Amino acid sequence: MLRLLGLFTLLALALALALSVGARPVTPAVALEALRAYDPTNPAHVTLMAIRLPRLAAGLIAGGALGLAGTVMQVMTRNPLADPGLLGVNAGAAFALLIGATALGTSDATSVALLTFPGAALASALVFTLGGGLRGDVGPVRLTLAGAALNALLLSLVTAIVLIRQDTLDMFRFWVAGSLTQAASRPLMEMALIAAAGGILALAIAPQIEALSLGSALSRSLGTKPRRVQAAALAVVTLCTGAAVAVAGPIAFLGLMVPPLARRVAGHALRRELLASALLGAALLLFADTLGRVVMPPAEVRAGIMTALIGGPIFLWVARRLRPGATA
Amino acid sequence: MTTPLASLSRRGFLAGAASLLAAPKLHAAEELRFAHAYGETVLAAPARRVVSLGYTTQDSLLALGIVPQAIRYWYGDHPYGVWPWAQPLLGDGQPMLMTGEVSIETVASLAPDLIVGIGSGISEAEYALLSQIAPVLMQAPEFTTYGMPWDAELRMLARATGTSERAEALVADLHGRFEALRARHPDWQGQTAVCAWHEGGQTSAFLDGDSRAQVLREMGFRLPEALAQMQGTDDFYTALSPEDLSPIDADLLLWISDGGQADDLAALAMRRTLRANAEGREAFCDALLSGALSFGSVLSVPYALKRLEPEISAALDGDPKTVVPSASEAGLL
Repeated sequence: MLRLLGLFTLLALALALALSVGARPVTPAVALEALRAYDPTNPAHVTLMAIRLPRLAAGLIAGGALGLAGTVMQVMTRNPLADPGLLGVNAGAAFALLIGATALGTSDATSVALLTFPGAALASALVFTLGGGLRGDVGPVRLTLAGAALNALLLSLVTAIVLIRQDTLDMFRFWVAGSLTQAASRPLMEMALIAAAGGILALAIAPQIEALSLGSALSRSLGTKPRRVQAAALAVVTLCTGAAVAVAGPIAFLGLMVPPLARRVAGHALRRELLASALLGAALLLFADTLGRVVMPPAEVRAGIMTALIGGPIFLWVARRLRPGATA
Repeated sequence: MTTPLASLSRRGFLAGAASLLAAPKLHAAEELRFAHAYGETVLAAPARRVVSLGYTTQDSLLALGIVPQAIRYWYGDHPYGVWPWAQPLLGDGQPMLMTGEVSIETVASLAPDLIVGIGSGISEAEYALLSQIAPVLMQAPEFTTYGMPWDAELRMLARATGTSERAEALVADLHGRFEALRARHPDWQGQTAVCAWHEGGQTSAFLDGDSRAQVLREMGFRLPEALAQMQGTDDFYTALSPEDLSPIDADLLLWISDGGQADDLAALAMRRTLRANAEGREAFCDALLSGALSFGSVLSVPYALKRLEPEISAALDGDPKTVVPSASEAGLL
């Protein structure tokens, strides 16, 4: 419990930094003034209300959702390398969105954003099927290979669209590495609700997932219906990844590095682990975004690139401490 | 639309004729030498079959009466990559349109006697390979890849194709247009102006080394001090922090677009904090006008000037209430 409290403190720190650090200094006094009497011609007010607050919201949604999706995937597959990015689910969501935006135009951001869900669902169903998920146990190696292949296929399809349609190139730049800079024009409220639904579903089925992770034979004898649990877990991954991609694009590495860290903090109890993943994911993405704002002034480094930069070393550190043969 | 050649001014014609008389006549046998960014290129005789690898060099070539064998596709949905201001000069010509990376094999199959690499961004290795097919011209050493001014480019290509008289007439004509414009608007001289761009949550501004900034400079404007001091990519543009757009708060703020950015701009809250916005000194350049400024060629600039003059007049009349037509149409007010 104390450790979860520590995570809340970490998230509070991330929130405070996300609101106060950037190219333009915004003091607490100015922040209060902006909340009480917003002046759209005051740059400090605009910075806080129109830039940092939407980014904060998007970071909370995408970070929390990707943390949850990563943990569910890793526990379900007993594969420490499972991650919505690595297994092509991010790419599926981004691909569907790019197709939709190319065909329908970008005028209606909300309806185009909804396309991430069929994209994520198809990609995750496909990767589980290819990886042998329908036959019960998903082998880590097979699943990772299937995911990598699917990811490569989807990315080359995206490239093909971009080569044919030059005007999608700028969109592509957004969809190849996630970023929180367009948060203000994204359907934040809708996606927050969808991600929350995914989180609640994950918490609800956590005991069954734990039973399933003992192996399908044992779990069946404990009264679990593996197919139903797998379907529910896929729904969690789809809802969470789809919502994350809709607000922030494909953020790399977060779903990969959060679960092992969350396990360290919360121990092997899935509900606590899920909670810790959501908190950690949100905090890490906000730290990454805040850091990206200040490392290369006056330009910004995208949050998706920062998570990869921060995530690489953290992941190596965690991976080195994994005992050979251990499962997630 | 009248073709730029048809509307050559008398002054331009006379200046061209004068330079024709003054210039020493080149003999066909004399070799032509060009110093450029990757060394020196020698032509035995003026070229006829030209492949245009620069993203915008087709304009200069067409202006000189040369239909390229192949044109490099930049952007936009125009037949053969030739934009409307240059279309009349293409006539029945059907140049090959090359997209993406330069295909050396395709270039070789066209058997050119000159390859134009100015503003193409090809590497020195690609230059060396292409040079085995035909002489390759790069931008003059004093300019960045995409920073060779329209008049210097036109003169270089004219020398390589034996069309210098025509080039001088065109240069004189466009210089004359700028001069007349500056004379019509003495109040613009010395004011600050910026071409900016907003896409995908990122706002960027073009710097002094860029063709868009060059057109503004020739109209008599200068960059605001804060922007002039910023270091950019290849001195061509710089990205701005979304939290601080003050470097582009100029007397005149031109928004460049490829057509679809008006909604993004209208939703850009930080724009409302700029004095240029409050005082109605913004103009929105649609895809065609932006393209004309971005090409910055001897053919596109006259088109841009014609369309910009009323916009800038409305923006800089000193009365915040005057509506700038393009900004109003784009929903920026």
